[in-house]
Formats: sequence, C-alpha cells, structure tokens
Amino acid sequence: MSSLKLRAVRKSYGNVEVIKGVNLDIKDKEFVVFVGPSGCGKSTLLRMIAGLEPITGGDLEIGGQRMNDVDPSKRGIAMVFQSYALYPHMTVRENMGFALRFARVPKEQIAKQVNAAARILALDPLLDRYPKELSGGQRQRVAIGRAIVRQPEVFLFDEPLSNLDAELRVHMRIEIARLHKELQTTIIYVTHDQVEAMTLAQTIVVLRDGIIEQVGRPLDLYDDPANQFVAGFIGSPKMNFMATSVVASGKGSVTLELTHQGKTAITLPLTGPLPAIGDKVTLGVRPEHFELAGSGIADIALDIDVAEHLGATSYIYANTASGEQIIVEREESRHELEQSGLSVAIPATKAYLFDAAGQRLR
Amino acid sequence: MAQSALARSERINGWLFVMPALVLLGIFMVYPILWSLWMSFQVGRGMNFSFGGTANIMRLTQDPVFLRALSNTMLFLAMQVPIMLVLALFFANALNDSKLWGRGFFRTAIFLPCVTSLVAYSVIFKSIFAIDGIANQTLLVLHLIENPINWLSDPFWARVVVITAITWRWTGYNMIFYLAAMQNIDRSIYEAARIDGVPAWARFWFITVPLLKPVILFTSVISTIGTLQLFDEVNLLTQGGPSDATLTLSLYIYNLSFRFMPSFGYAATVSYVIVILVGILSLIQFIVAKDRRA
Amino acid sequence: MSNPIALIGRAGTYLLLSLAAFVSIFPFFWMVVGASNTSADIIRGKGTPGGALWDNIVKFVNSFDMVRVLFNSFLLAGLGTVLTLLVASMAGYGFEMFRSRFREKVFGGLLLMLSIPFAALMIPLFMLMAQLKIINTYQAVLLPSIASIFIIFYFRQATKAFPSELRDAAKIDGLKEWQIFLYVYMPVMRSTYAAATIIVFMANWNSYLWPLIVLQTNEMKTLTLAVATLAAGYTPDFGVIMVGAIAATLPTLIIFFLLQRRFVEGMLGAVK
Repeated sequence: MSSLKLRAVRKSYGNVEVIKGVNLDIKDKEFVVFVGPSGCGKSTLLRMIAGLEPITGGDLEIGGQRMNDVDPSKRGIAMVFQSYALYPHMTVRENMGFALRFARVPKEQIAKQVNAAARILALDPLLDRYPKELSGGQRQRVAIGRAIVRQPEVFLFDEPLSNLDAELRVHMRIEIARLHKELQTTIIYVTHDQVEAMTLAQTIVVLRDGIIEQVGRPLDLYDDPANQFVAGFIGSPKMNFMATSVVASGKGSVTLELTHQGKTAITLPLTGPLPAIGDKVTLGVRPEHFELAGSGIADIALDIDVAEHLGATSYIYANTASGEQIIVEREESRHELEQSGLSVAIPATKAYLFDAAGQRLR
Repeated sequence: MAQSALARSERINGWLFVMPALVLLGIFMVYPILWSLWMSFQVGRGMNFSFGGTANIMRLTQDPVFLRALSNTMLFLAMQVPIMLVLALFFANALNDSKLWGRGFFRTAIFLPCVTSLVAYSVIFKSIFAIDGIANQTLLVLHLIENPINWLSDPFWARVVVITAITWRWTGYNMIFYLAAMQNIDRSIYEAARIDGVPAWARFWFITVPLLKPVILFTSVISTIGTLQLFDEVNLLTQGGPSDATLTLSLYIYNLSFRFMPSFGYAATVSYVIVILVGILSLIQFIVAKDRRA
Repeated sequence: MSNPIALIGRAGTYLLLSLAAFVSIFPFFWMVVGASNTSADIIRGKGTPGGALWDNIVKFVNSFDMVRVLFNSFLLAGLGTVLTLLVASMAGYGFEMFRSRFREKVFGGLLLMLSIPFAALMIPLFMLMAQLKIINTYQAVLLPSIASIFIIFYFRQATKAFPSELRDAAKIDGLKEWQIFLYVYMPVMRSTYAAATIIVFMANWNSYLWPLIVLQTNEMKTLTLAVATLAAGYTPDFGVIMVGAIAATLPTLIIFFLLQRRFVEGMLGAVK
C-alpha cells in the first residue's frame, strides 16, 4: 500500500508562504509528475513528502499513515536527486548499500540486494568504481540503483535528467518509464520540462506559486486545459494568445473582435456562462491547430518573420499587423512560405477562450 | 506557531553542532574581554583592586612609557605594513608571468620564511645583526659603512632590524594571497588590454590592482591586526630596548602584568587601546575600499 | 622582446627576485652553518661550516630534559590540532548547514571578535587559569586555543562547497545527524581537514606568548620556549641556539615540502 494523501499542506519560511494549501491524492503504483516553472514550489513539495523540509501545516499520509513527523528514512520512500548526490568517497557498491548498512541489514543480504538492483540497471561492471570515474548517465543510473536497493514503496525523483545532455535525456526518460513498468511502485517525479511530464506521467500536477493549477492525464491537460496558465505551459511551442473583446453574446455563443486584427469578427459556441459585451477575453490557438486560409471560422493575415524547418514539420514565427507574435506549425506546402505574407484560419473546434482572470470559458 | 518534530530536531541539531565552539569562546574570549573591560577601571597592584573610575585613562595620558609604546607601534604599522604589502604585490606580479624562468624556485624561496618558527627566526636575526655579525661584516667589506653599526643597541637601527625581520617573515605569506587571486583573473582580460595597446604598468595598475582589491583589503586588515599585536619578535630581538625604542603595546602589557609588580587594571586599559585601534583601523580600511569601488 | 626598455625591465625583475630569494634563504643557510660553529664564531660572522656541530647538539640536548620538551611540544601541537579541527569543523558545519537568523547573528558576532587582539585577553585569561588552578598545565595552554574563530570561519567557507543534497541523501538513507557528519561530511571534506591541519599545527607548534605566560616550570616547556629561554640569557650560546632553531623549524619545514600545495591551500582557504 503506497498511496499518498495531501490535505491542506502548507509551507512557509517566516512570513513567506511557498506552498499555499495543497490537496492531492496519489494512487498506488501511479506515475505522477509535478510540473511548473521554477519557483512554483514543486521541489519544495517533493522535499516535504520526503521529510527533508518540515511541513508547516496540513497532513501528509503515505500508505494510510500520517507521516508529518516521521523520519525521512522511515517513510518508505527513496529519492533520486538532481545532482545525483552520490557519496564521492564510496564505490558504487558502497553507495548502493549505504542505507542498508545503517538499517542493520546483514552483509550477505546487502550484497544480494545491491546485486539485484545492479542487474536491473546493467550496473554490474561499474560496482567497484568511484562516482568520479563514471559518466553523467552512469551516475544517474547509480543514483536510481541506490533508490531501488532500498525497495521503497514510493520513488521520488527531483529533476533527475536536467544535468544530462539532450540525447541522454531522451534515453533515460525511456529507461525510467520502463523501470516504472518493471517495479510497479508509486513514482513522484518533479520536472520543469513539460515534454518530460507529457511523456512520462500517468497524472500531471501543474503547479504555480505554491498552488495546484490543474491535475489530470497528460492528454486531458493538452486537450482541455482549465486555465490560460496550463494552456500556455503544456504544449510546445506554446499556445498562441490573442487579445479580443466581446461584441455580441447570447444563445450559447459569443462573437469576438480580434483587437489587433482589424476588427475581424469570429463567433464561437459556449456552453457555460457567457461573458458580457465589452469584456476582454483571450483567444488561444495552438500552433499546430491553425488551418489553411478559408477553411476555418476566420482568416488572419500574418507577416512572416522567421521560418524554422525541422524536417517533418516547420514552425513559422510571424507577426500580426499590429505586432502580436504568432507561431504557426505547418506540414504542407512549405516552400510557399518563402514569401513574406501568410494567411491562416482560426479553427472552429480547437480555439480556447479565457476570461480576464485567465479562467477557461467553455 | 506549532513546530513539527522535524523542524524541532533541525533546530536542536543546529545548536548542538555549534555549541562546543560557542561555550569555549564564551569562557575563553567573551568572559575575559568583559572582565578586562571591568578591570580597566580598577586600580591597585597585584590582586588588590579598588574601583578607580577613569584613573587609568588619566594615567595613560601621562605615562611616557605608554606614549612611547603607542608611537612605536604606530611607527611599525605605518612603515612595515605598506612596505611589506607593496613588496608582496610586486613579487606576486613578477611571479604571475608564466614565461618567467625559475618561477617555482622564486616562489618557494620567498614563501619559505613564513614556515619558520617566530622564535627561531628572531634568534637567527639576532645573531646576524650582532655587532661583529655577518651583516656588519658584509657591509664593511662592501665599503657601504665605515664603522660597524651597533644594530640592536641603537634606537634607530633597532627599529630598522625589527621592521626588516617582520617584513622578511611575512612578505611571502601575503604574496601567496595575491598570487592566488591573480591566477583567478581571466587571462583574456590582459590579452584584450594588450590588443588595445595598454602598456604593462597600466595593465598592472588599472586591471590587476582593482581586481585584487578585496584581497588587498584582507591582507591589510590581517597585517594591521598582526602588527598592532607585535610581541614575539621584539621580545626576542630587543626586549623593547634600547631605552624603549622598540617597545610595543603588547610587550608593555606583558611587562605591566608579568615582569614588574603586576598592575592588571592599568594593563587592561592599555589592552583596550589596542582593541580600539584595531576597530578604528579596520573600519577605515573597509570605508576606503568601499569608496573606490563606487 | 627586442624592445630595449622591456629587456632592461626584465633584467631588473630577475635581479630583484634573485635578491629577494637570497635574502629569504640566507637565514636558513646561516642557521645550518651556525649550528656547526661556536658562539664566538657566529657572532664574528663566520659564514663557513665549523667543527662544533656535535658539541652544540650535545649541549643543546643536555640543556633541557629534551625528551620531555619534545613530548610537550608534540603533545600540545598534536592534541591542540585534533581538538581545534573537531570543534571548528563542527561549528562550521553547524553554521552553514542549519541556517537560522539568530545563528547568523551569532556568527556575525564571532567575525567581530576576530579582531580582538590576544594582548587584550592575556591578563584576564591568566587570572582565569589561576582561579581554575590550572596554571602550568597542558589544559591551560590548550583550552583558549581550541575554539579558533579563524578556523571556524575557514570551515564554514569550505562547507559552502559541500553539496547539501549529500546530506539529504544521507538522511533518506537513515543516518542521524552525527552519523552524517562522521561518515559523509568528514570523508568528503578530507582535503579541507588536511589543509586546516597544517595551519593549526603550525600555529600551535610556533605558539610562544601564551605558553610563555602559563607554562612556568622547565619540565612543562615546549621546544619553542626552550629555544627562547636559551636566547634570553646574557651570553647566549648561539651555536646551541642554532641547533634548537633547526629543531624548532624542521617539523614545519618538512610538512611544507611534503605538502606544498595543500599548505598554500590552507593559508588561502579562508579568503576564497
């Protein structure tokens, strides 16, 4: 049993509150990713779960037991650190067995567990080396191995891939995903990289300024963001936001005027409460969702600034007449992009609306 | 605010680790310095004290020996510290040149004096500057002097010997600080300056010296404190003589407390003069250093 | 380098450096040569080796209970170093790892105390030792020197380079705070300890004023005090003193040549 329950969890340093009341349930064997910009409190939250930071208020339960005041080593967790935190004066073998040594586990048992973990991660040939004799990727694997040896109920990963180069990062990402399948334990993984979050998570928790913005499955967050922050954070390149104002509202739809688009009017259906006429609302369209001119609900004319050709796809960085930057992703007829003008259509179904406070209008 | 068990154990551990040091410092530093403050208002000899108010401070102003010790100490400070630091800076700059032949040898040689024990080197200097000693012999042979100089019995030359001795011992020490700081300066700054046509002296004066300012400040504060407390060398070389020409404040305090009939209260007052001097001079050095940075 | 001014400048640099090197090394040469000469020869400035070396050594060894003196010196310097390192590194670890506003203030206070000269402390310290009735004991020499603010400062600076994630990892691995200090911090920081050992040992070995005040009988004297005592006589025997000076300098000299790089690191540690 290794589900987690956070109830109104708070953390403050003096008068500064960094975690402002977090409620979260994590199921057994779930792979959860905390994601958010730097300073959002995701690492602090993880360290509170680990017991490295005292919890100022609220309750933390792991496996049904309140853990607020329990020593880190007795919470059934293991942690992989950003800098790996391998003990530099010990060999890989000693590093991996260190925790068991202090848990008074007999030597033969330690050796057995270390060897088993080493086999999972293909660390066998490295066991007698020192951390400084290993490459970045190998150190990372040792750090994971050290966590595995303890046979924890919950693995905590604190930005484990951020010190690796791009290629290795992709490789380790896959390895971690495989590991989760193999070990069948709960994993809480902190990252600022939304690609890592999307690819690894079963559930993503988006944090900002110490509060949870949205919790959900990766595709749910992408398809159905709760607010402008999540919409902008998930997806790459970022969702485009355009300023508009409401010119007509009623009967399950709104008509908007693009502020910077020479009064182009668009009408979108809404099921929820409608905004009032004159309200400023933000229209969001993902780069990959623009359609060819003429096929959507309205066309907008753009000046092309730079086109990046990635091969399978191209990103076009363009400006509206009044200087709003818009990114468009294109897969077809890309050679025509050499010319300076471009007209794209706003799609009928994949346009999102946000009110002035950033909340989604549905 | 209710504190969690984890926060409490952090706090307790934090104090446990610093406690041994704080207790020792409390007993052997804070307590003595406060006691010394109290004592500086006491008069009397030996272990019999009575409250004397400002009597000791009055006595200071009229005590020719104290004034002598004070002026000697200030003289040593004013002469020795600048000479030593300039020499150290010069040597460091010369040795920072990677094309210099034999720089390892020069560096080790100039640093070597600060490995010696204070007592050993003082004694060696005493023998070198004996009246018939090697110093006089050499100067006579070179015809730099007509008659041997009575180094340690002449007030002027005794001071020269003391200053020479301290400079000998500590120049290499300071040089190492400068050398380390110079090696942290990005080479390309000098290359850029050379391409811009900045001459060597200007590179030293307008690049090296400003970048070394924090280290220069550090060494000058350390040297000031050291010189104000000067004791070992003078006690061994001249015992403050001839006729108090090399008497320092520390030596005077020692004499007042342990050589003559002890006058602890007055000695404590003299010792506070050093505390105040160190405070004032450190403050001045910090202000000067800050000013130039702006 | 064809520029004549640059050439002269370079020659001048070499000249001055050579002079400085000569001046720096000469007293060592003088010390070694002196040890083989009679006092009269030394005072007359005789700069060549003589035949009195054995004589001087014998006289020096017999002037004090040399076994006792060496024992005192090594005991005080060695024990003092171990205790100073332990207390100072604990404090440095404590101040750096457990930040609190109040402890920062205490640390600021320590830095201010760094500028309190020993001269201001020696009288009350002496009286304190007298009250504790430990004048002329090893404790009296050791106790005031153990908590060295400078070394605490040095360790705190060095601890900034100690990755705090190692401490976190050790906590999760189930180590108590003292175990983290003992099994993780100390081995990881061993080069800091090595550098600090050198400075502290040197300072203790060469310590003069305070031992002079509190150590009063001959059988408590250190090597430094013994040499000073020989030098303080009305007709000091310089040949014998030179032997003593060599003995007093040799340990630090050996440490210096064995660990030159560490040695310099140690001196620099605090300003980095």
